Amino acid sequence: MAKTRMALEIGMGTSLRKGDYTRAAVRAVQDAVWRNSISFAEAFGFEKSDMLIDVEIGVQKPDAVDGAEVKAVLPYGNGGVRVVRGGLDIPKPDGDGVTILANAAIVISFDMERRTDTAGAGMEDKAVSP
Amino acid sequence: MKRLILEMGTGTDLYGGDYTKAACRAVRDAIGHSSLSLFRSCGYNHRDMVVRVTIGVQDPDAVDAARVAESLPRGNPQVTVVHGGLNIEGDAQDTPTIIASAAVEAFLEVDAEGWAISGSADG
Repeated sequence: MAKTRMALEIGMGTSLRKGDYTRAAVRAVQDAVWRNSISFAEAFGFEKSDMLIDVEIGVQKPDAVDGAEVKAVLPYGNGGVRVVRGGLDIPKPDGDGVTILANAAIVISFDMERRTDTAGAGMEDKAVSP
Repeated sequence: MKRLILEMGTGTDLYGGDYTKAACRAVRDAIGHSSLSLFRSCGYNHRDMVVRVTIGVQDPDAVDAARVAESLPRGNPQVTVVHGGLNIEGDAQDTPTIIASAAVEAFLEVDAEGWAISGSADG
């Protein structure tokens, strides 16, 4: 079954005054990651380094986001950073610049599969779609 | 039972002095920022999930734990209320501003020996 999505984490970050899209994106990723503590590696007997962490950022100016800086926030795991047009820019009341809101979605996956030996066969009966 | 995730959140009741409302909002904040896709992806059933909720507020006795439990969509949650959270007293109103903390833990019986990382030596 290869790359298997295990969880989605959602966060929001802002840059109130500096107009820094990367900073807003970094904060959105931090908000998403540090709200939850995920123990999939422990539960499934995998290594944390097996975790695939894909980051998706939405901001109004995607080109202004430094993907490497966003990726550096993550504690471990391989994966990519994708920046799309989204988030929200809110004009300041005095007309001088914008307040930036960034959305972050973090997808946690493992490249995993069912063992073909008998060890896990008993669970197949419980594999009912929710 | 293995713990899959700990979700954390805060909720407030700014003017009403309602600890249960703050607690329910904290739970909503905790569970609303993540989604456990593995039930669908790996063929597990939500009904096998066990959920434990811990609420922290300054007046634990004022929280209706049954109402907090009802605010969760599934997992037949067990709710514990402890002393925690934060109250902010102010001169301008009779009741304090209430902050509740919520920890929501999800547990599942995982057949770890039935899974392997693709391409690993023992997979």
